[in-house]
Formats: sequence, structure tokens, C-alpha cells
Amino acid sequence: MPPRHVRQRKLTKATLQQVLREDQIESAEYDSNQSHQHVETGVERHEENEYHLQAALASTGGGKASEEIPAPPAEKTVDINYDALYSLRFKKPATYIRVSHTVEEVTGCQYDMDSEDDTWLQAYNQGKSASQKLSEDDFEKIIEVFEDTTENHTPFAAVDNTLIPFETMSAQIKLRLPSKLLDIAEHVYGHWKDRKQASGNKSIQPGLKFEINKDDDDADPYVCFRRREVRQTRKTRARDVQSVDKLKKLRKELEEARQLVALTHSREVQKQAMMLNEKSIFDQRYKVKVAKTKLGIKGDDEDFINQKVRRSNTRIEIIADLQQPQKRKSEFPQPQRTAPGTQLRLPGRSDGRPLEADLILLSERLAEKENMLQKEIEEKTQQHRRWNQGHVDLTRDPLSPANGQGPETGFRPATAQYQYLMTPPSSVTSESFDHPSPAQEKPESFAFRYSSPPEEEPRGQPAYRRRIGRGGRLWIDRRGMSSAMKNDENVSDRWKYDQDDEEEQPVYEMDPHDTNALRFRATIPFPPHFYPQHGRQENRPRAPGPTPANSRAIAPVQNPAAPP
Amino acid sequence: MAGKEPAVGSPAPKQKGKATIDTLKIGCLAMVMKEGRTRRAEVLSIKETKSGRQFYCNFDNFNKRLDEWVPAARIDFEQEVEWPNPELPKEAKKAAAPVAKKTTVTKKSQKRPAAKREASIISASADGETPKWSDSIESQKATPDAEGEDKNALKLELERDAATPIDEEDDAMDDDEAAIKAIKAKKELADPPQSRAEEIEKLRVGGSMTQNQADISRIRNISKVQFGNYTLYPWYFSPYPESFTQEDLMYICEFCLCYYGDLKAFTRHRHKCAMQHPPGNEIYRDDYVSFFEIDGRRQRTWCRNLCLLSRMFLDHKSTYHDVDPFLFYVMTTRDEKGCHLVGYFSKEKESADGFNVACILTLPQFQRKGYGRLLIQFSYELSKIEGKLGSPEKPLSDLGLLSYRQYWTENLIEILLDFNEREDKVSTEALASHLAMTPHDVESTLQALQMQIYHKGEHKIVLPMHLIKRHEMLKEKQKTKPKRMIDPARIQWKPPVFTAAQRTWGW
Repeated sequence: MPPRHVRQRKLTKATLQQVLREDQIESAEYDSNQSHQHVETGVERHEENEYHLQAALASTGGGKASEEIPAPPAEKTVDINYDALYSLRFKKPATYIRVSHTVEEVTGCQYDMDSEDDTWLQAYNQGKSASQKLSEDDFEKIIEVFEDTTENHTPFAAVDNTLIPFETMSAQIKLRLPSKLLDIAEHVYGHWKDRKQASGNKSIQPGLKFEINKDDDDADPYVCFRRREVRQTRKTRARDVQSVDKLKKLRKELEEARQLVALTHSREVQKQAMMLNEKSIFDQRYKVKVAKTKLGIKGDDEDFINQKVRRSNTRIEIIADLQQPQKRKSEFPQPQRTAPGTQLRLPGRSDGRPLEADLILLSERLAEKENMLQKEIEEKTQQHRRWNQGHVDLTRDPLSPANGQGPETGFRPATAQYQYLMTPPSSVTSESFDHPSPAQEKPESFAFRYSSPPEEEPRGQPAYRRRIGRGGRLWIDRRGMSSAMKNDENVSDRWKYDQDDEEEQPVYEMDPHDTNALRFRATIPFPPHFYPQHGRQENRPRAPGPTPANSRAIAPVQNPAAPP
Repeated sequence: MAGKEPAVGSPAPKQKGKATIDTLKIGCLAMVMKEGRTRRAEVLSIKETKSGRQFYCNFDNFNKRLDEWVPAARIDFEQEVEWPNPELPKEAKKAAAPVAKKTTVTKKSQKRPAAKREASIISASADGETPKWSDSIESQKATPDAEGEDKNALKLELERDAATPIDEEDDAMDDDEAAIKAIKAKKELADPPQSRAEEIEKLRVGGSMTQNQADISRIRNISKVQFGNYTLYPWYFSPYPESFTQEDLMYICEFCLCYYGDLKAFTRHRHKCAMQHPPGNEIYRDDYVSFFEIDGRRQRTWCRNLCLLSRMFLDHKSTYHDVDPFLFYVMTTRDEKGCHLVGYFSKEKESADGFNVACILTLPQFQRKGYGRLLIQFSYELSKIEGKLGSPEKPLSDLGLLSYRQYWTENLIEILLDFNEREDKVSTEALASHLAMTPHDVESTLQALQMQIYHKGEHKIVLPMHLIKRHEMLKEKQKTKPKRMIDPARIQWKPPVFTAAQRTWGW
């Protein structure tokens, strides 16, 4: 039937096709519409026509039982002692096996003696006593050394026909094998030499052929496993530098690792020495104990406890004199803790223990020094105050105002009640405006001002003070309100449309209202009669006028810009 | 070999004449008894044995694995023998360079006919271009051999024009290196290699599968192998140490795959060898089998040994290059001795052509037991995890083609029946992505099964009844005896990642 030539729509891989069974379609149509075209099999073209393949393909295409391609069979070996050859038993691990041992690593000695070696060895061992006999294992080891040495020293032995003399070999043997094999090795060397020459100075064991000479090798089907040409990468300076850096880093790291290993090694060596010492001490003690029991001496058992414990005890006693009692308390449990362990514990720990104790003491000493320094500074400032008594220091922005003076003088902690009320308690302030606050009783640690003061000082709790300003005005200065104020809904609302955020706020403090003019006026020295209260507070000299920033009674965030 | 049957297509017709046992020489085409009848065979080698002269014969349209040593009694000297063509000058030139100098007598004898064989290959290629396999199926069915020649000859006459330019190009190639490239570009992978030069060129740039047409490698060099508890009869040449050719029996350690020509050495090795499973990470385990992943670079010795072993059963496997750029997925069965190698497939670490399998082999003692199917399924399961569509590297062997066809068919039929029941439409692409196959493989399978038809203006897929029946039969059988399948949930595997440095420095 001539095929109707219908122009077919193109069939792409995305074309959706209906799936039908053969019985769902008219058989005549099915037959006529089948495309008889060559199907790519992927088999070499001249093999596609092979008789058995075609028979098998035809059988799968038709409905017949599939035909098989004949092949030389494999059969169970009958004349081999499988169990003897494969004697190891395998136990399936519970988890998936993960292994990276290579063949060389699990096959032991790389030389396997063959029947020729066996003949020689049996002849050699003949008539020798059992102790003098050379075992097969040792024989293989010796030959392995010979072969390895040949490969390392004369890689081109097969070409230039050099044979390594026994002198070189014996050095290697000495290095790698027990010395008793050296004498036998000389005999084996003779045998090895014979075999080597018989094999054309190649390896005695039959090996694969690798590439030697490119022209010959390409045609030789025995030459296998050639190296692939390495893909060339573009060379750039950056890449070179990168590689150099990487190599340097690698080298450095390796060097470090090496040192680490060397140090670890020396540590372990010392540990061992220490162990031995401790053991000998123990032995000596044991002897002493035995002697004591024998002689009936009682008491003085201190000797049996490790010496180190006592030593650390006395040290602590000495140092303890310098320490505050509560510190000593914490120190005492330590020797008690260590005492029972000393006899048994590892030397490694014993170095650590006293070191640890020393460290603690050192820090305490430093603290003590610090205390002394602080005390001295306090004394000095007191002295300064005494000197300045009755004087008014009018230095503008003193570099380092003496403690107890300055803007924060006279602040008192505000209790919650008053904080909300915004009214200072009148009872105290009515008597003296600048009453010494509780904070002043224990002066804050003194600090020098080096550069600009910190923007926000840590203040424990909100404080306020009341004072009389110029012209008898009543001022209330407060501080430490920052957090409370920041959270204030109204305040944030006030800055809502301001681009500058909280960080910029200190800048605002310096804004128009506290201009230099204000500041300047505030620092103009006043005649003494302007200070009516001055006469009353004799022991507390006034600081120069508080900065305008402090004086703002209802500033949103009131941190004095002046130094502490 | 395909093209030896018709002498029509070859440029120089072969001389025919009667031969005797003494005059029959290498390269002759003679009629030899095989499977109950005489078949044309090429004599590849001759040896003297105690029982007389023997000839190594390759039979027409028979796979090389069926080549054998034949005593003179099986050769029909009544019929005429085709003598090898006299050496042409250009072929002499070709042969002179590559063939290495050999010392033994047998090899010397092989050296001379090299050129002639190439001549026959060239003629083969000329023929091989033309016949369509569907046509030749019929000719095979009816007349597997001689009778079919007429038909083919007719066709060949018609298509000779198409075939001859290739011969011309072949001539030019000897002089011009650039011509090689041009030919290569024109020809498909499946084409038989044209010359040694091109063959080697192909080896240098190609993947793991190729046909190494070297003369010696056409002849099986190892006759018998003792492997584990089995005796294997190798099918093809394998580049084991040359000295093993003289041994009657080669011993291979079942676990480390090391090879020995001497029983004493093998016994000594077994005494020391502690390997009990392939030296890699187990990535799959069920009640029957385990899969191990082995990196060719890290386990060079083992992987080389595996390649040598598999080369005995894979004609197209190349051992030209080292194993570094491949990963090997090895399937084993377990018993109290260890994990026994059943089969494996290798896979390029980075395949430019998107192949998910390079070589694939089930050892002969485990063939026809469904293990090949498991290997194929596993390779596709790995592709699914990678999220890629995969295809085996070409050329496939005859057995490889059958195994893959079977796997593809079974899986496609299963899905298509499902679509048919739901009365849903499907595209090749969807089928492909469902099975992690390339759309090309899906299409060629559908074509080979004659399932694609054009009907009422639409492309349709039709399931032939005999395939449906077979599928139902299989399903019925599986109820009583479940088929071994890979359970994807048991795969513990992540696609290995290689750094740029590893790729630059040859893995």
C-alpha cells in the first residue's frame, strides 16, 4: 500500500500526545501510519548488523520470547580451595561503610613471591635449623626493599641497565628491616639480581605498560592509563599573586603545625619524666612507710602527702596576709580540693593548679595598688580643697576642676515620688540650698578630662538640685532623666518631623538659646554681694556659674555638657 | 564486521582461490564451521599447538566475543578463500609508522596483515554507511548470511555514490591534517574509525568509550581467568601485563582486583590482602545489594584494576586514559566472605555531553539475573538526585543496547498505561523528566517500539498489544516473586562537588 503523503505537523518534545492502546485504534490505520524510519541505536554502525543483536531486537519488537545474545559462559570453579584462599570472614557493619584505604594500604607487603622465588627459598632453607630459616614474609620484605630502592634511586634502570650494589641496599635494609635480616639479605640479593637481569632490569613483578615514548605508545594497545592533558588556565598576575599568597599561607600554617607538634612532643616527654619522678617518689614513700611501720614510728605522716600540696598551702598563707579576709575565704577551699587528688592526678593538671592560684593573687594585688592610688588622689584633692578654701576659682572652663566642685555639686537623688511631682522636697533645701548630697559622701572616682566629655554619662538615678541664680531666681537643675524623657510620647512627637535623630540631640542643646552670649554673661564675675548665700556655705566653695545648659529647668534631655 | 560480506562496495575486488592448511594466511576470508553451518570468517591469527595448527577466526556478523581458535578440521577448504588485498602504497605508509616492533613470533606475524585489515575496515565503512537496520533485519531474518547479499548489493549499488566520497576523504587525510578534522565533523560517533591516526586522535579527545582497532587488540589475549569462586572466559582483549598472555590461567583477587599469573604469588597475596569490600563509601544498601562510590583519583590502583577486568568484557571500553576523571559506582552482593563485585558503572565527574554513565558492566557470572537493570536504575536514580536528565555514553554494546532498551521500554510502558487509563495527554519532555532520561532516548525508544503514529492530524502514542500483554504478565509474575528494585529512599548520596582547582589539575 503506497503511503499517503500527508504533510505532518511537527512533533516537538513539548507536543502533547494522546496515549492509545492498539485496540483503541483501527488496525489498518495503525499499520499504515507507522513511521518506518531508521532508529538510532547508539551501537557502532558496523556492529548494528550483528546477527544475534538483530535477532534479539527483532524478538523484543515482535511478541516472541526474547532471544538472547550468546556469550562465553562463566562457571563455578571446582578445582580451587575458595575458603582457604578467602579465609577472612566479613561482618556487615550496622551503618553504611565509609572507607578510604587504598589497595596498597590493605595488602601489606607489596611484593608477592612467585613459584620461582619459592623454589629458591626452599633450596635456601634446606638443611637450616628452624631459627635460621628465612620465612616467606621476610623474604618478601627484603625483595620489596630491593625493588623500592631500585625504583627510587634508578627510575630509568630498565633503560640504562644500572643495578644498585648491595652496599646501597644494605643501608636501606638497615633502615627498614630488623637487623637480623641483613645477613640473609645478602643471599637474597644474589637471587634478586638474577631475576632482575632475567627480566631485562624491569620490575620483577609483571606490571602494566605505561607511556614511555609517545610515538611508540600510541599504537601499543598494552599501554594504558595515560595521563590526560591538563586543561590550560589563563595566566594572570593576580592569579600568580594569589597562588603565591596561598602557598605562603600554607607554608606558614604547616610551620605552625610543625611547631605545635614539636612542642606537644616535648611536653609529653616532660610529662613522662614527671611521671617517672612521681613514681619514684611514691616508691620512696612506700619504703619510708614500710620502714616506719617496722620501726614503729608514728605521726609525721605529712611526708606521705604530695609535697606540692604543702608548698601551695604555705604560699597562700604568706600571700593571705596581704589580702582582705573575704578574699582569703575564697582561696582556702582550693588547696583542700586539690589535696586528695594530688597523689593520683595527672601531672598535666598539677602545673595548672598553682598557676591558677597565682593569677588570682596577681589581680588582687593590682586591685590593691589601684586602691592605694585612688586613696592618694583623694587625699590630694582634699588638700587642694583645703588650699582653695575661702577662694573663688573663676577659671573659665577649668581643664580639670577639682572634685566636689563643678556643675554637679549639690545634686540629690530624686525619689520616684518627687520625680513625678517635679517638686523638690522643701524640708532639706530650706535650710541649705546646696546641701551635701548623699552621693557626695562617697566621692565618685576621679577622672581627668582628656578630650571632649562623653555625651551621655552613666547616671544611676535621676537627681535634682535647687539653687538661687542671679537676681534671686530659683532654679531647679536635674539630671539622669534622660531615659524617662526619651520614652515620653510627647517628646518624640515633638521631634517627629525632624530629620535629625536622637544622636543629633546634643547639638540641639547648643542651639540659639544657649548661645555664646548667654554663656558669656554667665561667666562675668559678679561682685561679692551678688552671692548672698556665699557666706553661709564656708566649707563648700562655689564653682563658677553653671553652664546655661544645666540651668534650663525644663530641657527635654538635660545632660550637662560640662565636664564631670 | 559488517562490510566483509559484500565485496561489491570495496574499491578493489578481492582475489579468490582455493587454499590449503599451509597456504591459508592471516587476513584470509574462509568458510568456517560455526553453530552447525559454515560461515565466512576472517583469520586474524595462526598458532601451532600440539594437536596441530589453529586459526583465530572472526565470524561475519558475529560479535567479537564469539571469536575463537579453530582447528583446521573446521575450515571448509572445498570452498574458495578470499585472499587479502595486496598492500596499497598509502596503506603501507599508514601501517609502517604506528605498529610497534615486536619480539615474539606471533606478533611478527600480526604485523604484516595490519594494513590489509585496515583496507577491509575502510571498505566496511563504505558499506556500513548504507544499509538501514530495519531493512537488514528482514534480510537477517530470512537469510542471515549469503542470500541476503543480493539485496544488500542492490542497495549498495544505488548508494555507492554516497559512499565513495568518504574513501576519497580518507585518501586526503593522510596528507592533510586539517582534513581529519573536517571528516570528524561530518561523521557521527557511531561511524567506525577510518584510520589509526584518526583513531588515536579520537582517543585523545574522546570519552571513555571507543573502539580501539589496534591489531593485537582484536585478538583475545587472556584465555581464562580465576576470579573469586568463578572461572571466567574473557571476551575481548585487555591490556594486562603482556607476560600473562602466555599463562593458561590468570588469577584475580576478588576484592582488590589485583592480577596474578602465578598461583604461588596469588596465594601469597590472598594471605596478606585484607580488603573485603570495594574501597569507598557505601551509598546504598538493601537486602540484596550494596552500592559503593569510588573516586578514580583516590583509588587509582583499584579503579585501574576494575577497568582492566571490565575491559575483558567490554569491547568499546577505552583504557587509553587514566581513571582520574571518573567516579565508579560498584554494585556488590554480601555474604560471610565480604562484598562481592557484581557489576559497576563509571561516570564522568563532569560530563560535557550530559552522560550519566560511561561504562556499565555486569560480570558474566551474574549476567541474565536482572543485575544490569539494577545498575541502570541506580544510574537514573543518581541523575534524579542531581536533578539532571541522563543518558549512557555511546557507543553502546549489543548487550548494553538490549539492557537499556528493556529498561526504557518497561518504564515507558508503565507510565503510558497510566496515562492511557486517565485519558491524559503527555509530551516526550514530560516522560523524559519523569524518568530522568533524555528526550532523545525517549523518542528513539518510542520509535523503535513503533509506538509513534500520525493519525487524524495529530501525533499519537499507541501501545502495541504484545507489549501490554507482556507488561501484564510481568506484573502477574511480580506478585509471586517481587522484582528486585532500587529503593531510592535507601540512597545516602549527595552529588560530589569538585573545586575549580581539582578540575584544573586533572581531578
